[in-house]
Amino acid sequence: MENVLEVKNLKISFQTFFGEVEAVRGITFSVGKKETLAIVGESGCGKSVTANGIMQLLPKPPAFFKGGEILFNGEDLLKKTEKQMQAIRGNKISMVFQDPMTSLNPTMKIGYQIVEGLVKHNKMSREEAKKKSIEMLELVAVPQPEKRINQYPHEFSGGMRQRVMIALAMVCNPQLLIADEPTTALDVTVQAQILELMKKLQDQMGMSIILITHDLGIVADMSDRVVVMYAGQILEVGLTDEIFAAPKHPYTRKLLASVPRLDMSREEPLYSIDGTPPDLYVPPKGCSFYDRCSEAMKICKNNMPEFDEHSATHQSRCWLNHPMAQKTNSTDGREV
Amino acid sequence: MITEFEYSPELFELASKEDRNAEKIRRPSIKYWPDVWRRLKLNKLAMVGLSLIVFFGIMAFVGTQINGYTYFEQNYSLINVHPDSVHWFGTDELGRDLFTRTWFGVRYSLFIGVAAAFIDFSIGVLYGGIAGITTRRIDAVMMRIAEVIYSIPYLLVVILISVVFSAAGQGSSMFVLILALSLTSWVPMAILVRGQVLQLKESEYSLASESLGADKKWILRKHIIPNTLGPILVNITLSIPRAIFAEATLGFIGLGLQAPKSSLGTLANSGLAGLPVGNSYQLFIPAIFISLIMFAFNVLGDGLRDALDPRLRK
Amino acid sequence: MMTEPLISARNIKKYFDVKGGKLKAVDGISFDIFPRETFGLVGESGCGKSTAGRTIVRLYDPTEGELIFNGQNIYKLSRKDMQEIRRDFQMIFQDPYASLNPRMTVEDIVAEPLDIHQTYKNRAERTERVIELLRLVGLNDEHAMRFPHEFSGGQRQRIGIARALTLNPKFIVCDEPISALDVSIQAQVVNLLKELQDGLGLTYMFIAHDLSMVRYISDRVAVMYLGHMMELAESDELYSNPVHPYTKALLSAIPIPNPEIQRNKKRIMLEGDVPSPINPREGCRFVDRCQYAIGRCREETPVFEEKAANHFAACHVV
Repeated sequence: MENVLEVKNLKISFQTFFGEVEAVRGITFSVGKKETLAIVGESGCGKSVTANGIMQLLPKPPAFFKGGEILFNGEDLLKKTEKQMQAIRGNKISMVFQDPMTSLNPTMKIGYQIVEGLVKHNKMSREEAKKKSIEMLELVAVPQPEKRINQYPHEFSGGMRQRVMIALAMVCNPQLLIADEPTTALDVTVQAQILELMKKLQDQMGMSIILITHDLGIVADMSDRVVVMYAGQILEVGLTDEIFAAPKHPYTRKLLASVPRLDMSREEPLYSIDGTPPDLYVPPKGCSFYDRCSEAMKICKNNMPEFDEHSATHQSRCWLNHPMAQKTNSTDGREV
Repeated sequence: MITEFEYSPELFELASKEDRNAEKIRRPSIKYWPDVWRRLKLNKLAMVGLSLIVFFGIMAFVGTQINGYTYFEQNYSLINVHPDSVHWFGTDELGRDLFTRTWFGVRYSLFIGVAAAFIDFSIGVLYGGIAGITTRRIDAVMMRIAEVIYSIPYLLVVILISVVFSAAGQGSSMFVLILALSLTSWVPMAILVRGQVLQLKESEYSLASESLGADKKWILRKHIIPNTLGPILVNITLSIPRAIFAEATLGFIGLGLQAPKSSLGTLANSGLAGLPVGNSYQLFIPAIFISLIMFAFNVLGDGLRDALDPRLRK
Repeated sequence: MMTEPLISARNIKKYFDVKGGKLKAVDGISFDIFPRETFGLVGESGCGKSTAGRTIVRLYDPTEGELIFNGQNIYKLSRKDMQEIRRDFQMIFQDPYASLNPRMTVEDIVAEPLDIHQTYKNRAERTERVIELLRLVGLNDEHAMRFPHEFSGGQRQRIGIARALTLNPKFIVCDEPISALDVSIQAQVVNLLKELQDGLGLTYMFIAHDLSMVRYISDRVAVMYLGHMMELAESDELYSNPVHPYTKALLSAIPIPNPEIQRNKKRIMLEGDVPSPINPREGCRFVDRCQYAIGRCREETPVFEEKAANHFAACHVV
């Protein structure tokens, strides 16, 4: 399966008054055709920065790319000019944002916003574009689309607006859809609808999806593979089944154990992780999870582990994988 | 797998809990006003404005003493002298030294501006605070009254008060001027404060305070006003030049300070006569000073507004 | 449960006058909360749960209804008497970034209840109490002199909890206390709340939209929809045998962090969005989205009554 997107050792930093903040510290991952990749992490881990970085939507000061490549169909996006990127955005790579309230222009009719994209990218005539946008609205299950294309965003509810956003993102039939917390602002019943919709569209149109979320339930529902990010780095990557059945990194394990689950008994305790993620002004020298890891060893403080393979598709970076770790710690440290 | 070099077994022992400091805050504490000052310093223009104001403030008292002439001595042999090495700004039509008179004017203008701004502040904060915190009905009545007051042209008010208070015709005393200026100009401040109070009243920390048992006075005092100080400060900084300009206008049309006291406005007024006869310096010098003062306060006010805006934090 | 309830809510209504009519945020809910229990209240946006929480501690005066505490209806109390009651009724807010005054130090924030009610003799006592509370929630002394913006969301929420505990309350309404926090931090705060409940004998009303979390922490759970209470049962019972169609749909919509289960789940999909609580019609509020609705549901509002042992619901069809 050729990869639609390959990110290699990407580094993104922000120049601030206090100094440089290393938001993304060298991440590598790929997205295959028709695949859904979930990027999971908590706030501040760098997942949104990564998404915006791929789309080149970060404001150039204060953000700057410290290194790495973003290969889309083999071409490095970091080498593209703004004009070239504009031809790609909304066309080959689309993005759906978290808050449909603010990502739609409140002064423009919905139909207009969709039509513009078509006219610009596909060079359609207005007539054809209008027809296509009604089709798109039907596809995303907005009732009475002919009437609604003349309405403004505030006349739609949150769930409807998100559907419009998806329609906008899909209208040019992109190869890659980046969805940054697309359902976080929605009620759970509406969220279920939107996720179903995304799955349906993916089947129909064959696109790849990068799904950014902190909700492990959504990850289990939607994704094929998972990348776990923490403090600007990837700690673990694998197939969804692998990650949930046999998580290798202590952070992943703790994360899974800290989520209350409907399928588990109420008596089972919720594990919480002490403390908070590190400040990236002073990025830790060793493993970024050291301060909060209950299985940390002395070596973890100043040395960053490399990736170890657990299977062809499952890797994690943790000193616990090192053969010497298993020898020294008799209890094996794995209570969770 | 790593095979470059051997790690000693101790490295793989569990790290102690004390060594891992999960709750530590690494960055130094930033207090509110020092941070605002830091951000203001970054704004070169605002710093220029501030320096000018400090300069003018000092010179308003020092400048009148420097060259030994007073502002009221008349010297008929030296009338309408152009600026030279003795009279640095020249003299006016009565032979009075313009350098001294100009700095005297600065003193008065600054004083009037600050006094008027202070009264604006006092009345405005009180009125706006009450209007914001009270019931919607009382608030509506208070605001209608304020709007009516504000719609009265202040010139009319000044004239009326001058006629009532001052002696026949020659101009108004400083008290009258300040009174006239602040009678209507407190309204924008009141509106600002009311807006802030209305907004902050709904803030979650105000609500939290209420749930703890606080009454409205407490919330206003402890939570709302401290968080309004920023915009209030900006407003004060910007209302000073407004007052100064208003006073200058009054002086320019003959309603300003009585002679021989001079404000920048009255100086400009007298200077106007000098324009057609080649004594343009008599007009330009006070005019430039008025402009510089206005400029200084305005850029400082703008800079303050930016420095206080949480969204512009760099 | 044969013990006396700590608080009893009877037919509480809260309406707001808005452009377009009456917003019936809470439209007649009744329930008891027993000492040392955690009463969970769930629902989606617009269901009125936040309004309910705030009305119960009388941050809002109700349009109708009674709240009985210590034998008195707190809505009838004078301002002065209410001040006393406030010591027993506290609240923890949702937004840890907005519920702390950014210009006050942590010490002042936590000590504010003491300052308002003037319950300490000197500054040393005040500081001592603040430090005691900070330690209780897992923070330390050095944090007292800092400002809210220097802390993370989870830490700020803990400061909010410390503040709520200052006067040794009996009852705390937790209004979405974890919704704005990261997943691993949510567990921290929830565990803290549980610990404190055991240690201090607290009673909680836990309002949230995260059903999994509510199930975990609550003893009994009530489900609200558009101002009405639709179902109420013990936690395990509600989640394993939901009776109301809305509850069933709600539960089926929650994605479970287990790929196999999630893939094979049978889902109940609701159409459309939650309707507006302004000028609602007579009849069951859920009628437009319910797959079991019959004619009667549109005409008559179902009564909230006991359908099985300690299991209440408002539905004609069940």
